[in-house]
Amino acid sequence: MKNGDLGIKTTTIEKALEWGSANSLWPLTMGLACCAIEMMATQAADLDIARFGSEIFRNSPRQSDLMIVAGTTTKRMAPRVKRVYEEMPYPKYVIAMGVCVIQGGPYVDGYSVVMGVDKVVPVDVYVPGCPPSPQALTYGIITLQKKIKHETDR
Amino acid sequence: MKRTGDSTMYKIISESEDKNKIKIINIDKNDLVEFMEDYKGKGYYLSSITGVDMKDHLEVIYHIHNYDTHEYIEVKISTTDDKVPSLTKLWKAAEWDEREQYDLMGVIFEGHENLRRIVLPDEWVGHPLRKSYDLKKVQYISMDPEGKEHVSYNENEGW
Repeated sequence: MKNGDLGIKTTTIEKALEWGSANSLWPLTMGLACCAIEMMATQAADLDIARFGSEIFRNSPRQSDLMIVAGTTTKRMAPRVKRVYEEMPYPKYVIAMGVCVIQGGPYVDGYSVVMGVDKVVPVDVYVPGCPPSPQALTYGIITLQKKIKHETDR
Repeated sequence: MKRTGDSTMYKIISESEDKNKIKIINIDKNDLVEFMEDYKGKGYYLSSITGVDMKDHLEVIYHIHNYDTHEYIEVKISTTDDKVPSLTKLWKAAEWDEREQYDLMGVIFEGHENLRRIVLPDEWVGHPLRKSYDLKKVQYISMDPEGKEHVSYNENEGW
């Protein structure tokens, strides 16, 4: 955005849409295991991700923009995760929360766990930890907002 | 040691206590139903069923709990041919516990009316908690549009 002398801001429609979608990321409740508890703590009053525009967790994929995959994704759950992701409208984003979701974590080489949810759905931001603290997830959401607005430091 | 109840008769092989003062009773698997019938009459309920693979035999452990005296008892039986009698006639709750043990340990409960897999898909090969299960042979699960699950050894045919 550019500030003019007349008190008028000029921008492009793309920038305005990016600004809008970055500041109204409504997450989907995709709590699969213990990381979901930390996800709930992020949403609750103390850390309150509503401050960053993630106003409310939706139970329907049709009403959400962001899927926080929180918890071990088992092989049986993977087709369901894929299906829920496909039901979400564009633009849609995915945060992989916890080491189980990133590469299997303590269940690496186990018989029942998918070694990374990025084999199932495309992931935008990885939040490591076992489980990640609510602050880490909040930082992940801020990172995703920067990514949507093309403001990444890298 | 032989105990006689009103109508039951079973043989206790050994009786001991672990460090948490939980009583462990070893019995023969043929006496299991009679033993459990007796203890159900004494006010015990089935808490859970676990299985241990000892390589040459399987050990099935029944955790029973008395709500009045708050007493836990571990009842252990062992089997060499994977077959143990089912407790579904005594406790309806045993049905899912036994299905879980069948699914993951491969214990066959004789008399169970609906003994099929509970957590893994029906097409899954092998019982994963067995020592003989080969973790190198990875199985992948996929789902068709009707919602039926398929298992494959091919990495590209599922997750």
